[in-house]
Amino acid sequence: MSIRVQDLVYRYQDFELRVPALEFPSAALTTIVGPNGAWKTTFLKCLSGILPSPRGSVFVDGQDLATLPEAARARRLAYVPQEHSSAFNYAIIDFVLMGRTAYVPLFSTPSDDDTAAALEALDYVGLARYAGRAYSQLSSGERRLVLIARALAQNSDILVLDEPTTFLDPKHETGLMELVRKLAVEKKKTVLMTLHNLDMAVKYSDVLVFLKEGRVVSAGRPDETLSEELLERVYDIPMCILEHAGRKFIVK
Amino acid sequence: MHGLQKITIVLVLASATTGSVSSASTGSTGSPWASGRDLTPAQARLTVRDDLGRTVSLPARIGRIVSIQPEITRMIVSLGAGDRLIDIDYAIRSEDHLFGLIFPPGARLPVVSMSENNVNLEEVFRLKPDVIFASPFERQIVESLERKTSVPVLALASMGRFARQAEILTIVGRVLGREARAAELTTYFDAEIGRVREAVRDVPADARPRVFLSFWGVLTKTPIAYDPVATAGGINVAEKAMPDVLGAVNTLVSIERLIRWNPDIILVHGNYLPRDRKVTVEAVRTDPRLASVKAVKSGKVRYTFGFWNWWDMAEVTVETLYLANLFHPGKFPGFDLDREGNAIFKKFYGIDDGFSALCRILRCGEWSHD
Amino acid sequence: MTRKQRVLCGLIVVFPFAAFVVSLFIGSWHIPAKDIVKTLLSPVFPSLASGFPDPEGYINIVFSVRLPRLILAMTVGASLSVSGAALQALFKNPLVNEFILGISSGAAFGASLSLVFLGAAFPPQVAAFAFAVVAVLLVLSISRKSDSPIISLLLTGVITSAFFSALLSLVEYFASPYALQALFNWLMGNMTWPGWNELALALPLMGIGIAVLISMRWRLNVLSMSDEEARALGVNLRRDKLLVIVMATLMTAAATSVAGIIGWVGLLVPHLVRMMVGVDNRRVIPLSAALGAGYLVLADDLARSLASFELPVGIFTSLIGIPFFIVLLRKSKKVWL
Repeated sequence: MSIRVQDLVYRYQDFELRVPALEFPSAALTTIVGPNGAWKTTFLKCLSGILPSPRGSVFVDGQDLATLPEAARARRLAYVPQEHSSAFNYAIIDFVLMGRTAYVPLFSTPSDDDTAAALEALDYVGLARYAGRAYSQLSSGERRLVLIARALAQNSDILVLDEPTTFLDPKHETGLMELVRKLAVEKKKTVLMTLHNLDMAVKYSDVLVFLKEGRVVSAGRPDETLSEELLERVYDIPMCILEHAGRKFIVK
Repeated sequence: MHGLQKITIVLVLASATTGSVSSASTGSTGSPWASGRDLTPAQARLTVRDDLGRTVSLPARIGRIVSIQPEITRMIVSLGAGDRLIDIDYAIRSEDHLFGLIFPPGARLPVVSMSENNVNLEEVFRLKPDVIFASPFERQIVESLERKTSVPVLALASMGRFARQAEILTIVGRVLGREARAAELTTYFDAEIGRVREAVRDVPADARPRVFLSFWGVLTKTPIAYDPVATAGGINVAEKAMPDVLGAVNTLVSIERLIRWNPDIILVHGNYLPRDRKVTVEAVRTDPRLASVKAVKSGKVRYTFGFWNWWDMAEVTVETLYLANLFHPGKFPGFDLDREGNAIFKKFYGIDDGFSALCRILRCGEWSHD
Repeated sequence: MTRKQRVLCGLIVVFPFAAFVVSLFIGSWHIPAKDIVKTLLSPVFPSLASGFPDPEGYINIVFSVRLPRLILAMTVGASLSVSGAALQALFKNPLVNEFILGISSGAAFGASLSLVFLGAAFPPQVAAFAFAVVAVLLVLSISRKSDSPIISLLLTGVITSAFFSALLSLVEYFASPYALQALFNWLMGNMTWPGWNELALALPLMGIGIAVLISMRWRLNVLSMSDEEARALGVNLRRDKLLVIVMATLMTAAATSVAGIIGWVGLLVPHLVRMMVGVDNRRVIPLSAALGAGYLVLADDLARSLASFELPVGIFTSLIGIPFFIVLLRKSKKVWL
C-alpha cells in the first residue's frame, strides 16, 4: 500500500511543517532523518493520522486518511511510538493483543483468532516465550520488540515507527533494524521510520528523506541522493562519507 | 472465565430486574403478602392528619408507642401515658437532663434509634408498636418507616411555635385517649402564658427590651423566631434577619451585625450542661469585641433555657415567666422562680421539686446575679 | 492464568452470593435460618408460612426490610467498584476513585438543598442525582476545549468538586441544627430507608451501567494506554471516553443518590482485585463488580448489627478495607502496577 502526501501543512505557534508533495514507495523501507527540531516525529504523527487535522491530505492507497474512521485507519496503518509508559503493568500477550483493537467490536472481547494473531506477532519478533511476563520485566530492547509486535498484530500494510532504536545497544539496534528490513522485504510492508543514526539509515533504507526545519530537503535512494554537500546543508556541519567493505559510513 | 463472567452478569441483571418487578406489583405497603392489619378501616379507628399533610389511620386503642421525636416523648409522659412507651431514642436518654427527672423508668427502655435518621427497623418491628411518632422534617423517612414496618407513623413537631405546641398536645391526647388530660394541660398552659401576656400588654414598644439570643453553642447563631421572648414583652433583634418563607429556623450573623443591633439584653443558650457550654455568659461579658454593646455594658447577659430537641411544654412555660420577670421585673412583684417552676412541673409531670432538680443540673442558681 | 488465580477468581465470583445468603439471616430480630427460607418461598407456597409465630412479621422483615437492603447493597457495591475501576483505566491512574468528576460533591450539595429547604416535600434522591449529573456536565463542558486530554478532565473534576463543596458549606450555614443532623447522616451513607419504589428507579440505572462497562472491559485495556497510542490502535477516543464517563456517572450518581456517600469502595476494590488476579480489565471489571457487591453487603452487616441502632456504613467500608489492603500489599510479591 502506498502513502502519498499532498499539501500537508501543520502549524504550532511559530513553527510550520510544510510538505507539498511526497510519495512513499510500497513494500519498501523509508527513513526520515534530519537534525533535532526538524519535527520528524510531528511529521510521522501527521502521516499516521494521530495528530488531529493538519491542513492538506495524506492518501493511503488512494484514500484520504482523514475520511477513514479510526478502526479502518488502524487496519491499514500501524504506528509504533518511541516509548510506552503505563500506569498498569500488562502481561506481554495482553499488551500485544491490544493491537487487535481495530478488529474487536466495542462491546466484545478478542476472539481466538485475535489471540492467535497476537501470538503469531509475538513469535515473529522472537518473544513468544515471554508471553506471560509483565511488560516492566523486560529490557528496553525487548520492550521495543513488543511494541513492534503489537503493531504487527494490527495486520496492516503500513508500519510507521518513531525512533525505534534510541537507547539501544549496538547488538539490539542491529537486531531491530534487521527485523524491520525483514518486514519490508518478506512481509511486503510499507515501512516508514525516523532515525538518528545516519549509518543505520543509509545501510537499511530503500529511500532516505532529509527533513530540516519543517521542510523536505531531499528524498530518494541513498546511493542516488547522498552527498557530503547535502549532509552539510542539512546538518550545518561539515561531514565526510567514507566507503569501507562496500558500505558507506558518515563521519563528522 | 468467559462462562463465569456471563453468569455474573446475568445474576446481577436478574437481581436488578427482580427489584423493578417487585415494586410494580407492590402497593403502598411494600410487603405484598401483608394482610394490611394496620391500614384497613375495618375496626374502630381514628383518623389523624399529621404535619406532612398525611391522613393516618390509627387503631382506636394505642397501647404500645414508639417515639423517635423527643418533644412528643415528653408530651406522652406529661399526658400520663409514659408507661405505654416501649422504646427510647438515644438522644433523649443520654442528652436530655429533663427526661431522667420526669420519667425515671425511661432509662430501662431499649434504645432503637439514634436520632430519627438512624432507626433500627427490625428492633422497632419486633417491639410491635401501635403507632410511631416521628418528626415531619424528612418526608422520605416517615413514609419509608411506615412502609417498612407496616406501623402507622405520625409526623408531628411544634417547630418552635406556642400555638402549634398546644395543638400537637391536643392531637397526641386524642390519639392516646387522654383528651381530658390534654385539655387540662393546654388550658393551664394558656392560662399561665396568658397571665404573662396580660401583664406586659400595656408596655409600650420602646420599653420592650431588645434581646439577642445566642443559641446552639455559637456566639452569633440565633433563632429567627423565639416565642418566649415575644410573649414576655421583649423583641428578638433577629426577627427580620431572614425571610421566614425559606423555613429557616436560625441564622448565623456577623459580629458586626450584632454590635450594630446593640441589644439591651443578651441571652445565652443555657440548656447545655455547664461543662458542655461552648458559649458562656462570662465569655460574652468579657469579649472585647462586644464592649460597646448595651447589654454587655450594663451587665445584662444571662442564660436562658432555649430549645432542647424543640421544647418541653413545662420548661418553656417556666422560661416565659423567667424572661418576663427579667424584662419587666416591676410587673411581677414577689416572683419566686423556684416556686413557680416547681408548681408548673408538678402540674405537668406530677413530680415534686422537679424544677429545682433541673436547676441543680443546669446550675440555674447562678443565673440571676448582676 | 495460574491455578491460584483461577481459584481466586472463583472465590470472588461466589463471594457476593454467599454474603447475600448469610446476610439474610443477620438482623436484630433473630429469625431462624430455616424460617427465613420458608418465608422466601411463601409467596409461591403460602402454606409454609402458617407455622410461624408471626407470619406477617416475618414476611415484612424479609421482604420489606432485609431483601431490598441487601439487593441495594450489592448493586451499589458493584456500581461503585466498576465505576472506580473503569475510571482508573480511563484516567490511566490507579489513584482515581469513582467520585473524581465531582459526583460526590454535586450529590452532597443537591441533597443538602433538598434536606434543608424541601425535606418535608421530597426525598433527597432527586436533587442529589440531578446535581451529581450537573457536576459532571460542568466538568465535561469546561474541559471540552482541549480535546479532553485526561489531565484537563482530572483538574476540572477537582475544581468542580471544590466548587460544590463550597456551595455545600453555604447551605450548611442556613441549616437548622436538625437539618444538619439529617445531612450529616446522609453524607455518611445510609441504606435503611430506600424501599422498592426507590429501588425501582435506581437499580435499572446501576444495572445498565454495570452491564455496559462489563461488556466494554477489554476496550478499557486499550483506553488505559496513552491517548496517542489508543488513537493509533484505532479507537474513537472521544466516543469511547464519553461512553465510559456517561455510564460511570449514571451508575455512581444513582448509587449515591439512594445510599448517600459511601467512600473507599471504588478505590479499594479494584486494587484488591488487581492484586489478586492481575491488571487485565477482562477480569478486573467483572470481578470488581462481584467483590464490590459482597464487600458492601459485609460492611452493611456490620453497620446494622454491631450496636442496637445503626451506624453509617461508610465508616465500615474503610475500616474493613484498609487493613485488608495493607496485608495484601505486604504479601503481594507480584508487581501489579
